[in-house]
Amino acid sequence: MHRREFIGLSLAAGLAVSGLGGCSRRKPLQFGLHPWIGYEPLYLAEEFGWLSDDVKLIKGQSSADSIDRLQSGTLAGAALTLDEAIRVHVEGPELYVVGVADVSAGADVLIVRPDIHSIDELRGKRIATELGGVSGTLLLTILDRADIAPEQVVIVDLPVDEHLDAWKRNEVDASVCYEPVASLLEDAGGERLFDSSMVPDTIFDVLVVTREEARSNPQVVSDLLEAHFSGLRYLVRNMYDSVYRVAARQGVSPDDVRSALATVMLPDLAANRRYLETNGRIDTVARHLSRLLLGEGLMSRALTTPVLSNDAFLPGDAS
Amino acid sequence: MKRAIMVFLIVTLASLAPPCLALAKTVSSLKLGILAYRPDSIVANRYQPLADYLSGRIGIPIQLEVLTQDEMDRALAANQLDFFMTNPSHFLVIRSERSLTGVLATLVRKEGETATSSLGGVIFTEAGRDDIQTLADIAGKTVATPGMDYLGGFLAPLFELENAGVDARRENRFKLVGTHDRVVRAVLAGDADVGFVRSGILEQLEAEDPTLADRIHVVNRQDLKGFPFVVSTRLYPEWPMAALPHVDDEIVRRFASALFSIEDTYPAALAAGISGFSPPADYHSVEALARSLRVAPYDQVPRVAWTEVFEQYRLWVITVSVLLLMLVMTALWLGRKKRQLGKEQKRLRRLILSWPQPMLTLSDSVFMDSNRAAVDLLQFSSPLSLIGKDIAAFSPRLQPDGSLSSAKLATLLDHVRDGAVEQLEWLFRRSDGSQVWVDMTLAPIHEPGEGEPFILCSWYDITDRKESEQRQRLAASVFEHAREAIFITDSHGMVIDVNDAYTEITGWVRSRAIGRLPPLPLDEGTAVFSSCLQQGFWRGEFASKRQGGQRYMAALTISPVRDDSGSVTHFVGLFSDISKLKAQEEKLRTMAHYDALTQLPNRVLFAERLQQAMAQARRQDYRLAVVYIDLDEFKPVNDAFGHQAGDELLVDVATRMRAELREEDTLARLGGDEFAALVVNVGDTEALEALLDRLLQAIAKPTWVASHSVRVSASMGYTYYPQPEELDGDQLLRQADQAMYRAKQTGRNRYCAFRAGESGSE
Repeated sequence: MHRREFIGLSLAAGLAVSGLGGCSRRKPLQFGLHPWIGYEPLYLAEEFGWLSDDVKLIKGQSSADSIDRLQSGTLAGAALTLDEAIRVHVEGPELYVVGVADVSAGADVLIVRPDIHSIDELRGKRIATELGGVSGTLLLTILDRADIAPEQVVIVDLPVDEHLDAWKRNEVDASVCYEPVASLLEDAGGERLFDSSMVPDTIFDVLVVTREEARSNPQVVSDLLEAHFSGLRYLVRNMYDSVYRVAARQGVSPDDVRSALATVMLPDLAANRRYLETNGRIDTVARHLSRLLLGEGLMSRALTTPVLSNDAFLPGDAS
Repeated sequence: MKRAIMVFLIVTLASLAPPCLALAKTVSSLKLGILAYRPDSIVANRYQPLADYLSGRIGIPIQLEVLTQDEMDRALAANQLDFFMTNPSHFLVIRSERSLTGVLATLVRKEGETATSSLGGVIFTEAGRDDIQTLADIAGKTVATPGMDYLGGFLAPLFELENAGVDARRENRFKLVGTHDRVVRAVLAGDADVGFVRSGILEQLEAEDPTLADRIHVVNRQDLKGFPFVVSTRLYPEWPMAALPHVDDEIVRRFASALFSIEDTYPAALAAGISGFSPPADYHSVEALARSLRVAPYDQVPRVAWTEVFEQYRLWVITVSVLLLMLVMTALWLGRKKRQLGKEQKRLRRLILSWPQPMLTLSDSVFMDSNRAAVDLLQFSSPLSLIGKDIAAFSPRLQPDGSLSSAKLATLLDHVRDGAVEQLEWLFRRSDGSQVWVDMTLAPIHEPGEGEPFILCSWYDITDRKESEQRQRLAASVFEHAREAIFITDSHGMVIDVNDAYTEITGWVRSRAIGRLPPLPLDEGTAVFSSCLQQGFWRGEFASKRQGGQRYMAALTISPVRDDSGSVTHFVGLFSDISKLKAQEEKLRTMAHYDALTQLPNRVLFAERLQQAMAQARRQDYRLAVVYIDLDEFKPVNDAFGHQAGDELLVDVATRMRAELREEDTLARLGGDEFAALVVNVGDTEALEALLDRLLQAIAKPTWVASHSVRVSASMGYTYYPQPEELDGDQLLRQADQAMYRAKQTGRNRYCAFRAGESGSE
């Protein structure tokens, strides 16, 4: 199971088809989106009518849908994790990261058996992770930080929603996962050894558009980001309302939404500027991730473009 | 995390409680005001347990006051409350009027098992009102609301309506009924079409009257999972609990501590239908709502808004202000410039119109405007005669240089349109047909590239100058080509210019002649200039010498040239060579007094000399004799040998006779073969007759003519003067002629004296 989809399983399927050709003057930007707390601002923007007619949200169940559609050319942009964005960019079409939706700050965790007390003790252990997803990225990052070669552990490549069963069958000693699996594993006796808040500014959920779209339709990309930041402001400043709306959409309780919000940082416009500046944090992390993924054979080619981010489409002023 | 801090705070406060008791004793009781959002009794019942709980926890009796908004405002103004709890919108108004310490805690409401610290508004109608299904349908309907300062009961629904495009405050009639219960009653009773209440009210009323759910229809129902109440609007934070500034800090802390300690199982919480209090919420969204709707406390927009706007858009405001200022200044400046320009234009037009020289403006090669002088010059009566016509219309067909007026003008105007200034002499034809020469200047007065070319045309009448030029040319021509020599001198007589004839006559080349004196009479010299000055001119004939020394006669006239003041600046002399004239004159004179053949005086000169001699004879008292001589048989010589031979004979005889006479005597040929002699100072008759004999002998000598020797004789008569009676020369000559006639008759080749009475016999 791809990351960022567990929370929105009850999403009404009808929402997926909304690309009604209302506007003939310009082809609207088809933007792929799936339920994830970091992407909620765009849903809110759509709900309150702050989304320009030129932007159509194409709602999928998971990022896999968005990636498929990006590669088939039906989408000109999507919300993805940074590592997904890198992989799509390398395989084509080439992308720009034009916005940072959220930064994981505890959403992704490493749950271990109680007898493991430190990262170093992971050597030789069986670790469940989903190599093709963000949990794989986190595992590689953890191992990289602890100077443990991937060969020194046993990586069990498993979709995150199967980790609990594997845990219960005692097939794994550790799991890199995220909510709600993380809480379930804790209930099953696991302990939190590491989470993404310990590697700040590393796990990013980003908004990407194809370079082709950025070149031919820059105003629409700006409109998209404008809507995202309007939604973000509402999400943060009107939290007494927004949590209920998010909860309603994702089919979870408002408390779940609050918990989810606690595990991510939602960077505002100023923070986005910092992240997206040329050779800023996004570019640095992208290069680092690219090396890690390439090293693990998770990517066919190295990232050739040194610059993935583009801050040219951010709204002019935070008002 | 925040929750942890709060727990820590509460624990800390609890541990501080005993020392504070002493302080609390000085305060006999505290008043807690709660907004009567529902009927007083219901609110009092619900919150009395809370007041009791707090009294117990703080140790000071807390008196519950259930107040309407107005009552609460008055109580706060009178400082009669220590703590109060009201809806967020009302709180914002109060906070803006009084300096509050902020919110102590936010209420957490509970419905069933679900707690929430959010509230919203419910928009509802009586069930069965099919005409009101959406927000847009509410436009124009009567709306019941508890009051303007209610969040869920007014502002939140209002905001949704305005977002849906319904300007409810203009289009709807609002009934302010005071409490939420009355709103529901008003809608059910049909007094209002629509009701606004806060979330939770309907659920509370339904608990008392379960049929209510079926009698009410909620508009714009929001599907919010986990929110325990039905709601029509977006959500805002719940009611805030606030302390007033005058309340002691310790009491506030203990109050807050007590609030946060409430668990949802406490009677106080159960009675009030709450689960407790949470840390203060962020009321930003409520403020944003009030700001967006421009209601209290943000209804005082102008002053606040201006400074805010200025702070926020300082750069823009300054830029726009500066631009506006510049615009105004530019407009003023332009206005002034325009007035100035207008004045200048008028002045310029006046200048052109009143200028004494003719001036006109041309547009597209026809006259557009003309001043008086131009009209006068062409002798028209009104400028209208000129306007709309071109220059060629007032010109003769041909200009003096032979070109067509219209063609010449066309090229000229082309140049001017291209920016050149043209000046030329032009001939115009006046209305009366007379011609007038002008010096015409054409100057472009349009900017390059300006669509319509404007040309300023000015004329200067040069007819007089042209005429004077003509005269000068004529004079120059006369000067150059005259046969008479002409010279011009300065006032001292020194030559400054001469013509060709001067050079020809005097032989002096022009360069040598200039700076010298002109030919003047030798005896008078430069004195002629003085006499010229006195008489106004000088004229004379005199002999002069050419450059080569050759003599000639000159006839000279000199005139002075005076300037405007009358003083002489130059002399002009005009002379000619009269040498030939003089010679001719001499010759003519000779021809009149002498015989052409014999060179002897003729009858005229003889008569003159006789006259003179007679006068002299009378004065000096001597005698003279007049002898008349006629050749005998001269005609046969003429006939035989021709006139040529006759003439030769006459010349020869005359020469011989002349030789016999004295120098003072005169021999004249009177005509043909007749001669006369005047012998002055005659002595006696013998002397005279001796002379006459010598003459006869001289005549009788043979003469060789035409290869023949020819001999002639003569008959002579003579008479004396004076005689007794006075007589004239003619009479004397006639007497001598009579005497000669007698000599002829008496045998020729002799002489006879005149005898008195002889004339009687004739």
